[in-house]
Amino acid sequence: MKDWQPRILAILCNWCSYAGADLAGVSRIQYPPTIRVVRVPCSGRVDPLFIMKSLQSGFDGVLISGCHPGDCHYLSGNYVARRKFAILKPLLEFVGIEPERVQFSWISAGEGERFAQVMTKVTNDIKRIGPAKRLVKGA
Amino acid sequence: MVNELREKAKKLLADKDVELVIGWERGSRALAATPVFIDSPEEADRLIFDSTCGNNPAVYFTKDARRLVKDGKRIGVVVKGCDARSLALYLAEKQVKRENIVIIGVPCRGVIDPDKVATRTGGREVLEYSEDDGKVTVKGRDLDLTFDARDVLSSSCLACVHRNAKEYDLFIGEMRDGTADKDQNAAIDEFEKLEPEERWERMKEMYSKCIRCYACRNVCPSCYCNECFVDQNDPQWIGKTHEITDTLIFHIIRNLHVAGRCVECGACERACPMGLNLLLLNRKVAREVEERFGYITGIDSGEKPAMADFREGEKQDFIMG
Amino acid sequence: MVRLEKDRFDDFIRSLLADYAVYAAVTADGKSGFKVIKAAQEIDRRRLVTDRSPKEVFFPHSEVIFEYDKDGVREIEKAGKPIAIWGLRGCDVKSLSMLDKVFGSARQMPDDEMFQDPYWKKKYDTSLLFCIACNEPRSTCFCNWLGGDPHSGEGSDVFVIDAGDAFLMQPGSEKGKAFIEKTADLKPASGAEERQAAELAAGARAMMDRPVALDDLNERLKELFHTDIWEDMSGKCVNCGACAFVCSTCHCFDMQDEGKGGKGKRIRIWDSCMFPIFTKEASGHNPRHLSKDRFRQRVMHKYSYFADNYGESLCTGCGRCVVACPVGIDIREVIKHVLSYESKGAR
Repeated sequence: MKDWQPRILAILCNWCSYAGADLAGVSRIQYPPTIRVVRVPCSGRVDPLFIMKSLQSGFDGVLISGCHPGDCHYLSGNYVARRKFAILKPLLEFVGIEPERVQFSWISAGEGERFAQVMTKVTNDIKRIGPAKRLVKGA
Repeated sequence: MVNELREKAKKLLADKDVELVIGWERGSRALAATPVFIDSPEEADRLIFDSTCGNNPAVYFTKDARRLVKDGKRIGVVVKGCDARSLALYLAEKQVKRENIVIIGVPCRGVIDPDKVATRTGGREVLEYSEDDGKVTVKGRDLDLTFDARDVLSSSCLACVHRNAKEYDLFIGEMRDGTADKDQNAAIDEFEKLEPEERWERMKEMYSKCIRCYACRNVCPSCYCNECFVDQNDPQWIGKTHEITDTLIFHIIRNLHVAGRCVECGACERACPMGLNLLLLNRKVAREVEERFGYITGIDSGEKPAMADFREGEKQDFIMG
Repeated sequence: MVRLEKDRFDDFIRSLLADYAVYAAVTADGKSGFKVIKAAQEIDRRRLVTDRSPKEVFFPHSEVIFEYDKDGVREIEKAGKPIAIWGLRGCDVKSLSMLDKVFGSARQMPDDEMFQDPYWKKKYDTSLLFCIACNEPRSTCFCNWLGGDPHSGEGSDVFVIDAGDAFLMQPGSEKGKAFIEKTADLKPASGAEERQAAELAAGARAMMDRPVALDDLNERLKELFHTDIWEDMSGKCVNCGACAFVCSTCHCFDMQDEGKGGKGKRIRIWDSCMFPIFTKEASGHNPRHLSKDRFRQRVMHKYSYFADNYGESLCTGCGRCVVACPVGIDIREVIKHVLSYESKGAR
């Protein structure tokens, strides 16, 4: 299926990563049009449940992005998020979900170029491993 | 030791030190004791302690049983090593006040796995259970067998190194040696040797037996949310049928919600009417928490649980940027 | 009475398989339930009461009722052989008859199809039920409290007694009679075997504890509805759904619509009054918010409300709940406590 375009959910924190995405947009930086964005106040808001449900609904990949450690608008939200992700990732791998499906990044408001780079990397990773099948409901 | 336990409980109740003692008593099933709430010294003789005492009594301090600790009632609770860890977790999470509980530690060598006994009795019903040092005897109609305890204790108990309460007000009997009989990580190491495809197939196969009765969640002391995510229906997060992705997500998320809070007491596995090997995922998560954050649940009641805490310079190689 | 030599059991099952989808007790990973089999070897013949009840044969945990899309609604057509279940116990057969009263709408208008559950009836009405007598009841069995008996085949099509090297069979219905008549391997049983069957029955009954009389139970329950007995008895209960799910007569269900993008399914799933949201209303109010209220509801439904509506308790004394309860609540103790409770001045 050469024409297959992955669908990737990008959960972005409002203060840094979402602003970074916005900057990429106004700067007209090109990156694959595979992402659908959900804006959250902070990466610490992200419950692993959102990630699982996204994979179940048919997203081929999920990216969660927040502020760099030390820069969180709420001071420590991303630190707590970091611990959650640190446990979620090995657990998903343990049950057999491909590690490339769920990825994390720290992208600041001024990193428009970087945002595009990260989105391109994630898209290429997902293209390489193919459409999500394992957790998809009714598959 | 049981006599000492009864005497101490009697005294606590008679002196009005506590209004209630939560422990175990012999129930209808030879291989599984049942929780008991003792509220008068005369009743204290019902208390027992042996390898059939599988429930985690800490569960009665939260959820609907919260009524037990309101009004400043002081409650004594008999705890194995793992149960005491749950209490320590509750203290760390401010679910109980230290002055409201009297922790009565008992030495635990592990809890019987009735399925392991059933394979050895050929399914013949066990009507009587007794134990002594290292051995277990089961009797029934045309049945009289003695086993090495290690052959019939639950696998997670064999690997346990937290057999005694660390923080307690009273300790009954001699503390147990904390050496494990087997490596607690052996099962997950084995599992990790498999290819991802194979692991996924095994997970599906195992969890396809789940009937979504939520016994695992309800006996777990760490699960005390007023509204569990599976009970939310506006929006509904996961389906309630036995569709495998919904079931898997329930178990994976429950594990993540108790990450760094699970004491691996095994109550969930024992409660499961379908015999699922639930502790496999719990052990994996607990090991990750231990290795990454140096935190073991419920050892120090003053320590913040790992998932509610952070250190600034933590390893984050899995994060881009 | 006829006999089937146990050596011929494999062939017997094979011939049954030709005409029926055969279910029997199958044990996997230490837990048993009634599953479809393809050969006699799959059957766990030592099993008395299975961990999971046979209700799941006719009333599965999740059942797709229909599918829909923009073109309309499509019922799921399940063509196939009629169901035969080998290895039910007296309590199991009784439970299925009880469920048939509910799903067959015996109370309302038995002859009016509109009130009957077609998903149940389609499977149940054509089924062939083999009941095996219990020669060694378990300590958790209490069928005799509820009018049952270890050697009762009431409600079954064929009643079977395991007499050592042969299965003795008796018809329990016209369907059973027809089955026995057309089955080649069944020969007449001898007088000695008939006596042996009677001895086995007497032996089984002797193994059970004397039954507790439940005539006053419904009355007592109603009297005690507002007392604090429920607080005491429900103390240990953690409100999971294990008892309701393994129970052979519990039948509450929920309907789930699962759909996306204009198509989906309506699925019926087991529900339990023990679950916290069982009675949660749209406003957020929950009349059975407390554990003790849900515990009370289950006991009342089984031994009072169902008795009022259908003339018998919604319980067959199979003891599955006693085995499955994670905290060891024994419904027999609950019943005894209710019957002997002194409500005034007790607390």
